[in-house]
Amino acid sequence: MSLIKLRGLEKTYQQGKIAVPALRGIDLEIESGEFTTIFGPSGSGKTTLLNMIGCLDKSTAGEIIFDEHSINDLNNKELAEVRRYNLGFIFQSYNLIPVLTAFENVEFAIRLIEKHSKKERRDRVMSLLEEVGLGEMANRRPNELSGGQKQRVAIARALIKEPKLVLADEPTANLDSETSQEVLELMKEMNRESNTTFIFSTHDPQVMDYARRLIEIKDGKITNDQRRD
Amino acid sequence: MKFLMNIAFKNMFRNKLRTIVSILAIAFAVMVIVFTRGLIDGMVADTYELYIHYDTGHIKIIDEEYAQKERLLSLNYTVNGIGDKSLTEMQSDLEELQGIEMVIPRLKFGAAVSTEEELVQMLAWGVNSEKELAFTNLARELSQGRMVEAGNREVVMGTRLLEKINRSVGEKVTMVYTTAFSSFQGATFEIVGEITSNLPLLNEDVVFMPIDTARQLLYLEEESTELLLVGENRDQAETYLPAVQNYLEQNGGEKYLAQSWRGGSSFIQLLEVSETIYNFVYLFLVLLASIVVINTLVMIVKERTQEIGMMSALGLKSSEIMQLFILEGTAMALIGSLAGAIGGGIINYYLAGVGFDYSAAFQDVDILMNPIIYPTSKVEHMLFGFAIGVVVTTITAIIPARRAAKLEPTEALREI
Ligand SMILES: Nc1ncnc2c1ncn2[C@@H]1O[C@H](COP(=O)(O)OP(=O)(O)OP(=O)(O)O)[C@@H](O)[C@H]1O
Ligand SMILES: [Mg+2]
Repeated sequence: MSLIKLRGLEKTYQQGKIAVPALRGIDLEIESGEFTTIFGPSGSGKTTLLNMIGCLDKSTAGEIIFDEHSINDLNNKELAEVRRYNLGFIFQSYNLIPVLTAFENVEFAIRLIEKHSKKERRDRVMSLLEEVGLGEMANRRPNELSGGQKQRVAIARALIKEPKLVLADEPTANLDSETSQEVLELMKEMNRESNTTFIFSTHDPQVMDYARRLIEIKDGKITNDQRRD
Repeated sequence: MKFLMNIAFKNMFRNKLRTIVSILAIAFAVMVIVFTRGLIDGMVADTYELYIHYDTGHIKIIDEEYAQKERLLSLNYTVNGIGDKSLTEMQSDLEELQGIEMVIPRLKFGAAVSTEEELVQMLAWGVNSEKELAFTNLARELSQGRMVEAGNREVVMGTRLLEKINRSVGEKVTMVYTTAFSSFQGATFEIVGEITSNLPLLNEDVVFMPIDTARQLLYLEEESTELLLVGENRDQAETYLPAVQNYLEQNGGEKYLAQSWRGGSSFIQLLEVSETIYNFVYLFLVLLASIVVINTLVMIVKERTQEIGMMSALGLKSSEIMQLFILEGTAMALIGSLAGAIGGGIINYYLAGVGFDYSAAFQDVDILMNPIIYPTSKVEHMLFGFAIGVVVTTITAIIPARRAAKLEPTEALREI
């Protein structure tokens, strides 16, 4: 069963009077539990594609089916609901809230889903922080953490609500190569353990190597799609 | 909601200087509002009291004709009883009415004293001393001697007036006046008391004498130019007025006019209008301060664009993002308004004791107003200032918060 199905997906940005086509007919299926990378040159449409899959933006043409449901006709509020319950995001620049501690940043994502008691929340956040190797640093603010540590907090924040899908747009672009590999190692481990689907974009061949499926995109079209085991 | 509040509160500390400036702006505005309200309230309450004591009573009964010619101090249109009843009977009837506690007759007429240089004009009031002392604060203002006593040819007048006619307590003075039959006459009085008052009316215009003496000199029967009715509470004057009017109508007193203190003086009506106008001034003042907050929030939204994008990606709805920023504005408003209300309260508390001297501004103005104003120190003013600060700032915070809520998540995330 596919988690995501894209059919003839197109996205054209309007820049003043000029139409900028960013995606030109994407057909793609992603299964539950995949660990997939999207790579391609700058401006090829990676971010645009991830935004479409992440229910952050609307397509110009084509269809997106997420977990058996078409999301084409959802309004902004409904899209926000989909993101809130089903999606995790990891950003290039971490985007942690500077006034909150590591613990609170992770907790933030499940406070939006009001189904856990305070104690339950605490235990889950702490055990996840330990899993990403930050058990000791739960009370630190982002500015007291290194880049790699911040991205680990962000990974924990993306995973805390046990989403069906985690999207990461160039998660290692701000990290040195050693830290990048540690972060990817962690993501892969999480993918194995929880069977959460991951899609990430990158420029970096070393980072791509971690993926089990590599999708290449150029000029808004998929030019190569291969699986490795 | 609770965790949004928590974040909004913490966010205030991200740029402390900017937050402090915003809070100070609100605090200052609220403080000025609390102070101004205390001052105006003090002034108005004091002015109402003066008008009631020396002009209108709670309800004033005069002849309708007299009302039109009040400034002439005519003696042709007096209150001289009702139907077949004498003035004394009319007074005791009125005292029986629900809510009326005291009925005070005053007989006002023009008089003059000639000195070597000039003829000094004055306003003679024939009064019932016991009632005047009970109703007004003349007792407090009587700096020398005593009040006039019924049956005697004696007067009490203000310090400034005594200076003008070059006399002092214990001496005699001859006054000239026009009787009810328009003849010009004179009489000599003993000065038995001196009044020292901030109020120009008492200080340099009025000369008090016993009402029976005045009647005798003016060839009047049992008459007065006006009757002042006093109830328990000035704010209930309107409630008792219909019964008074009804009494006048039922007993053949159609020629009389009964008016409550609010209706009787145009200056009081003016004050009431100005109180409403001041409310708009307060609103304007808070709006000015909230511009500082709006400006701060606009900068904040600009700086945190990426963060807004992140929150939106995590599933916060635009309404929640809007709340987050409004809450930050509200938090500043709460702290600023609280500080301002307390500050204003302290100023009022202090000035309520020592007074605020206005005399320079009112030197030549002919209204009943005390030149030293004692602001009232009421919790009500603080609550008002606090509430208007919080409410107005919170409402204006919607403007920048909407901008944050309207951001497209993808656009917000692209922002560096
Ligand atoms: N909001 C926008 N308005 C106009 N054009 C846009 C917008 N966003 C993206 N584009 C254009 O769409 C195309 C694809 O952009 P996208 O950001 O998806 O590329 P990318 O593969 O993520 O590039 P990079 O590796 O530099 O991040 C580019 O030509 C870009 O200029
Ligand atoms: Mg990109």
